[in-house]
Amino acid sequence: MISRLFGSYLVKEGKLTEAQLETVYETMRKVRVKLGLIAVSEKLMTTEQSDEINRLQAIMDKRFGDLAVEKGYLTADQVTRLLGLQGNQYLSFVQAIVDNDFLSMDEINKSLADYQNDNGFTATDMEDLKSGESDRIVPLFLPQNIVEYQLEHILMSIRGFIRLIDSDIYVEKGYISDYEEVQSFAMQSLDGDNKATMAIAGEGKNILAVADAFAGETFEIADEDALDAVAEFINCVNGMFATKINNAFDIDLVPPEYSPDGCKFTGKLIVLPVHVKGSVIKLISSFGEFINK
Amino acid sequence: MARILIVDDSRTSRKILRGLLEESGHEVIAEAENGEEGVKKYIECKPDVTTLDITMPVMDGLEALTKIREYDGNAKVIMVTAAGQQNKMVEAIKNGASEFVTKPFEKDNILKIIEKM
Ligand SMILES: [Mg+2]
Repeated sequence: MISRLFGSYLVKEGKLTEAQLETVYETMRKVRVKLGLIAVSEKLMTTEQSDEINRLQAIMDKRFGDLAVEKGYLTADQVTRLLGLQGNQYLSFVQAIVDNDFLSMDEINKSLADYQNDNGFTATDMEDLKSGESDRIVPLFLPQNIVEYQLEHILMSIRGFIRLIDSDIYVEKGYISDYEEVQSFAMQSLDGDNKATMAIAGEGKNILAVADAFAGETFEIADEDALDAVAEFINCVNGMFATKINNAFDIDLVPPEYSPDGCKFTGKLIVLPVHVKGSVIKLISSFGEFINK
Repeated sequence: MARILIVDDSRTSRKILRGLLEESGHEVIAEAENGEEGVKKYIECKPDVTTLDITMPVMDGLEALTKIREYDGNAKVIMVTAAGQQNKMVEAIKNGASEFVTKPFEKDNILKIIEKM
């Protein structure tokens, strides 16, 4: 998520063009940082040692980390830590920008500091962002003091998006609202010892980004067929949520609802804009009461 | 190859499930979009296997399961749940459901279960 958040910031600030950013994402897809390079940059190995392991690797069917441990260059714990770094999206993003000669490391760091200031993020927030974990990132974009269960409902929805719809989603600043005008939407409530609703709404064809990915087909318009797919995605998320909170509340799924016609949602709403495959949709959550429409 | 009845209020889920089943040589002989319609179709078509979604309007999957088992004590029914809903599964087992699958569908899992029946 951080590569998408910071990437769109760099474009907005004129540091990268849209086309350059696309190239960066393409590079990230193709190139994964080599473990040896990370080990050297972390000063755990010398370049000579890394080269030696690379040569051995060419003739032996063993992983870099295992060979480095066998040779006594790294401990198993260090390998674990390096593997964590290798998977780090922020580092891959930065490397892809530098490798394409779009920006220098210094320019990136300067922009990252600006990004931090513009958004009022603390140093801890920045660590959360760079972690790449949606459960640590998304709360930074939500209002403070959300009840625990509602936060979990939203985070679970985001994990659902990442797993079932688009692994590259990112969010904008969410807000609390008692009134939200929506165009096409799908929603599902949970009822029992407590009440909750999760809705997804989008303008024009935006909601099709969710429908297409979930149903595995291409819808032309946001009609009932498409919205049914969105509703079924919400159903999957809500099923997991109901299971998760069932020790606290006996709460059950209600059949979903959807409509291609606009309507007004009222209630104690938390609205979170989510970028999905180039479109923006709104994730709208209510907990303790249903969304009224 | 089995003759299968799909009961689910979501046309997306019916379509995905039908696709998976037909691709593997099974025959989907009917679809229904709620429990009440599902019971009717069961009596009409006598499928080998029925898949029953739990969360549906008009009549939910649990009630439909009871009705189908009243009519045919040997009915082979696979309950379809949104991931989770464990309490519902326990209730369904008591009422004679043979198996469970969770949404989103995993092809291999569903096919294995149908083979087994
Ligand atoms: Mg359903």
